[in-house]
Amino acid sequence: MSRENPQTQVFMINLKIRRFDPDENRSWIQKYTLEASRIMRFVDLLRKINDEQDPTLAWVSSCEHGQCGTCSMKVNGKPLLACELLVENAIYYFRTDTFYIEPLNVAPVIRDLIVDFTKAYDRVDQVKPYIIKPVLPRSEGDEFPITPQELERYVNATRCINCFCCAAACISSHETFLGPNAMLNSIVRVMDPREQEKEQRLKILYGYQGVCRCHSSRACSFVCPKEIDVAHFIALAKEGRITKLKS
Amino acid sequence: MTSPVVKRPFERLILSALESLPVAAFYAKTRGWPFVIAWIHRLTGIFMVVYIWFHILTLSSLAIPSEYDAKMKYFGFVFISFLEWLLAVPVIFHALNGGRLILYEIFATRNDESMIRWVFGLAVTYVLLLGLLMIMGNQSVSPIFFWLTSLIFSVSPGYLVASKIWNTASSLAWKLQRISGVFLLIIIPAHLLFMHLQPAIGHESNVVITRMQSKFIKFVDLTLVIAVLYHAGYGLMSILKDYLKFRLLQNGLTILIFLMMAVFGWIGIRLTLTL
Repeated sequence: MSRENPQTQVFMINLKIRRFDPDENRSWIQKYTLEASRIMRFVDLLRKINDEQDPTLAWVSSCEHGQCGTCSMKVNGKPLLACELLVENAIYYFRTDTFYIEPLNVAPVIRDLIVDFTKAYDRVDQVKPYIIKPVLPRSEGDEFPITPQELERYVNATRCINCFCCAAACISSHETFLGPNAMLNSIVRVMDPREQEKEQRLKILYGYQGVCRCHSSRACSFVCPKEIDVAHFIALAKEGRITKLKS
Repeated sequence: MTSPVVKRPFERLILSALESLPVAAFYAKTRGWPFVIAWIHRLTGIFMVVYIWFHILTLSSLAIPSEYDAKMKYFGFVFISFLEWLLAVPVIFHALNGGRLILYEIFATRNDESMIRWVFGLAVTYVLLLGLLMIMGNQSVSPIFFWLTSLIFSVSPGYLVASKIWNTASSLAWKLQRISGVFLLIIIPAHLLFMHLQPAIGHESNVVITRMQSKFIKFVDLTLVIAVLYHAGYGLMSILKDYLKFRLLQNGLTILIFLMMAVFGWIGIRLTLTL
């Protein structure tokens, strides 16, 4: 599989990519074989294919630093960020040099690896991922104080980048459940002391598309690229602890 | 991209065997073992829904004792006894794993890997104990004492769960699913143990009918039928809602499930009250 010393090791990688042509409404698997160094990321591999083999392969990325969630896709079935997956880690983890790459199944595919995130975001938008009715600071120009204890309870959940990896991995599918990331976006605002509007949030959170659809399979926590224990926050909501400061 | 840490050598052995199973290994790698366990929970649940319908239909022949005795002759065969023993596997797994989920969701028990070890350890212990009792086949216990004890041990955690979740904003149906689940967690494995203390307890119509003359036993059986069918119905409906897109279809099938459960509930309740 490899040659040269470990520092300059080069691998021959096989990528089997699920492609989709919307003009002909045709889907197929295309195989690419390419040389890759150990610290190349999967976005680099896709770019290399565009540069050297096939400029028609469509995929999308933005920050390429694991902060925007744009390049989420499935590699050998696991939802992840292509900008975070190094070739050597992938070979070690999946114990193969052949990788099957497909788009996330959270929204319709536009072309090849690009999904319509607008449709996926529709589900997140339903939980109103913003502060609806903010508590005003004591006097104008002041900042709103949040104690470290309060912040500690939910700060990890604020790191969600809505990459939809959790939604793609969830056992509950996407037909009724709004998704783990949507729940997280709602829970964060319920736990946020700056938010006054709790009632309509709780109505959605505990409604038929809310936390009752979660079966605690914990796949969301397993795949989360930001290592957020999503299942923990959803369980807090089920337990009814998100509205109280102390347990 | 890390796998859960497994410290014990025998666990490594078991995991490496499990990782050779193609489907389980794939999902363990891409979603984690709790995801695989969630699927097993779901599949054992579906299996038990079908079994409970079969079980109620079989018991309904108690109305004609000779018919019941004729059916029960088959349960004397070694192979059928073996299948009865195997039935304990999905039952105890579903019960204990349900208990684990209750602990995770409602009692904030986050050391889930440890809980998974307990689920498998206790499940194996229970299945072996049941097998031992079936082989011995000569145990006896006062039904009132057994069921009163079982009921106390089932109702207590049920009450505990109810008091924890009752004031949350979750729907009543979801709360009842958790409460019925924790109630059944004890009483169903207890039911299975009791029925296999000796063959006559479940296989001879006169023994069953005599036992069911007690108002207390009738009460236990009625509670059991209602809790099982509610839990099964909600579970089925929950699975359907995960995969069906259209509300109309979801609601239509929910009504169908409700009707199915109501029919089997009626058969079970009528049998219990008329014996």
